[in-house]
Amino acid sequence: MVFDSLSYFLFFFLVIILNYCTPLQYRWVLLLIASIFFYSYTNPVYLIVPLFISLFTYSAALQIEKANTHTKKQWVFIIAVVINAGLLVFFKYSNFFSNLLFDGLNFLNGRFAHSGELYKNDLLIKIIAPLGISYIIFQAIGYLIDVKNGNQLAEKNIGYFTTYILFFPKLIAGPVEKESLFLPQISKTPVFRYDDISVGLKRVIWGLFKKLVIADRLSIYVNAVYNNFEHHSGATLAIAAFFYTFQLYADFSGYTDMALGFAKMLGFDLMENFNRPFLAKSVTEFWRRFHMSLSSWFNEYFYTPLSIAKRDWGKWGAVYSLFITFIILGFWHGANWTFIIFGILQGCILSIEFFTRSMRKTVRKKIPAFLNTIAGIVFTISYYTFSLIFFRSGSVMDALHYIKRLFSSRGSVFIENPSIMLFSLMGIFFLAIVECKKEYWNELFTLSNNRNWIVRNCYYCFLLLVILIAGVFDGGEFIYFQF
Amino acid sequence: MIEPLKKIFKRRSFPYLFFKIAVFFILLFLVDFFVGNIFKHFFFKQTSGWEYRTKYSIEDTKADILIFGASRAQQQYNPVYFEERLNETCYNVGRDGEPIFYSYAVLQAILQRYKPKIIIFDVDNAVFMEKQSSYDRIAALLPFYEKHPEMRSVIELRGPFEKLKLQSHIYPYNSLLFKIAMGNTEFNKKRNVDIKGYVPLSNSLNEPIRKVDLSSKYPIDSNKVNCYKSFINDCIKANVKLYLVSSPYFFQSTGSDTSIALAKKIANEKNIEFIDFSKDGFFKSNSKLFDDTVHVNFAGSTIFCNRLIDTLISRDHYKTVKISNDIK
Repeated sequence: MVFDSLSYFLFFFLVIILNYCTPLQYRWVLLLIASIFFYSYTNPVYLIVPLFISLFTYSAALQIEKANTHTKKQWVFIIAVVINAGLLVFFKYSNFFSNLLFDGLNFLNGRFAHSGELYKNDLLIKIIAPLGISYIIFQAIGYLIDVKNGNQLAEKNIGYFTTYILFFPKLIAGPVEKESLFLPQISKTPVFRYDDISVGLKRVIWGLFKKLVIADRLSIYVNAVYNNFEHHSGATLAIAAFFYTFQLYADFSGYTDMALGFAKMLGFDLMENFNRPFLAKSVTEFWRRFHMSLSSWFNEYFYTPLSIAKRDWGKWGAVYSLFITFIILGFWHGANWTFIIFGILQGCILSIEFFTRSMRKTVRKKIPAFLNTIAGIVFTISYYTFSLIFFRSGSVMDALHYIKRLFSSRGSVFIENPSIMLFSLMGIFFLAIVECKKEYWNELFTLSNNRNWIVRNCYYCFLLLVILIAGVFDGGEFIYFQF
Repeated sequence: MIEPLKKIFKRRSFPYLFFKIAVFFILLFLVDFFVGNIFKHFFFKQTSGWEYRTKYSIEDTKADILIFGASRAQQQYNPVYFEERLNETCYNVGRDGEPIFYSYAVLQAILQRYKPKIIIFDVDNAVFMEKQSSYDRIAALLPFYEKHPEMRSVIELRGPFEKLKLQSHIYPYNSLLFKIAMGNTEFNKKRNVDIKGYVPLSNSLNEPIRKVDLSSKYPIDSNKVNCYKSFINDCIKANVKLYLVSSPYFFQSTGSDTSIALAKKIANEKNIEFIDFSKDGFFKSNSKLFDDTVHVNFAGSTIFCNRLIDTLISRDHYKTVKISNDIK
């Protein structure tokens, strides 16, 4: 079930009614049943893995807390993390690693090549990774680390914990929610609050707008070009690359807006995931504004411990930690070298920005502030767009060919259907206006939060109208569902 | 009277929220109705473009010969030759990218108005292949849902909630804003080459012929097969002479396409002639007649149409029709 489908809206309508009619002690039961139904809507078999992770992590955390010696605590923790991470590796990366292993064997021993191929084909497993497994496991691992470090008490109520892991608005593509923020909200009395419904509903409409009007519209052009990039001019490839940047953002932030909106309507506050990342003046700042819940997870549980461990290396320790963190973050997206290169590219630019921080500060003082801002934004978007070529391409070779053609192939811009191009440009323009307004002129006249409710209603009516006129109702799933 | 109401609609209470949501939806409904009707007005007023051609096919054409199919119908069958040589009016109702659902729905609408004498249906390779995009493409017919109840069963194949979505007056015109605007301009009329529904292609292919293996199996969509059968049955019932045609390709095929084999089998069962140009040696030896490997260009279309007309003339049925027309 996807957020932008009518079946989901009917499902949610039922859940929200029941949510406010159910007594507090049974609220988690309702949310758990709803989440289980949501997850197993297409195939109940998919539920086995997330349920196992929830139950296993729940028991492991209790064992960690109960352990009377440090060694025992350490061992239970290691086993629990290894099993969770092992599941992630099995479902997402087993074919990648088996490919790597047999390619390596073929390379080392020519005579082994034939039999190697045979084994490789035999070993490739048809695995369907459960939706949102990365998000589920990251939450589980984060929880285990917090319990082990004593930052969080192990949850005693198995129902509460399973609801935390499987809560349907955040189940498939995050945000990666911290247990310390979520668990206390389950036991809170579900009081009907006008503002929760109103704010949540508005957020859902805005998310729907981003997904249907902007992301899915851009995807038509992006898919047409990326699927046949060898036949397109450099100008077309550049436009498609920029369109993909905005598609990815509109798609993912649109999903997040909907997730946060639906959760809000149920009385839950989830973490913010985006803070206008394309208005960041450097790539470092960009990563503080983009996919914030995942970035902060990596920062808290990976980068910080690693850089503390390497503090003897001085600046190089920080750079090393940065690099490793972003390689893993890239690899987290999927079992493909393209994602690893995407991560390396981020690591490179962040290291450069780290070393040139003081120099850039000096230069900035000599340039007018607005020029500095514009140059920073243009550079950040361009660099991120460039790295996304790897992210979007099917293979590294495809990405390299794409880049080669981008700079070498001349010709006219591909416009198969002018209305798609017009709708796409209008969508980006509208998104840019809204984001810039929020960033720089937030106190100025506002439509979405206008004091006059008629103006507010007209604004949201306008958004729904544009969705009906220009939304793409046959668009695909959310991009981040695959991760 | 007012005091209890004030109590019920106390600010930020549940009834207050319900009241505001109701007001919002009433506002939305009014705007949807108003804007949707503006779209409707201008949609049916178009004088050029793809949407106009669809509208003309469904509501206006009275041609004796109709050509159905997707891009290989729209871009390969020139009605002018049919009119000149067969002395009958002809219109090409084919539409690029449209699956068999579109052809069947348009036929339904046409048969409600009149009975054409001959229908030529271009059957494409993989015509019955199961793919979601075929259902998405039915969107081209959404503006006709309200006016043409005979097309509704096909349009509703798009999804279980299609009927609900179509309660909106704007939804049928989704993504058509710029097309409708263009279709109402004189400029668009000059820009679009449209010869009675036929859209000629001008590119000339310059490459050696490739080998393509058509024998690989793919899932067959039973809805598409049913549409094909119903298309044939409706033509038979309406006493319309139907010719199923597979037009030329510029590739050397090995094996036979699953859909074409099935289409031929069904045609055979229903006693309908299937004219196969897909393996015609003349076209295989001349790449210059093609725009790409699956569409002949204007020059290729001239040759193909005339060869097809020769075949039609040679058929007994056509001779009979000709004679009876001559006597009249």
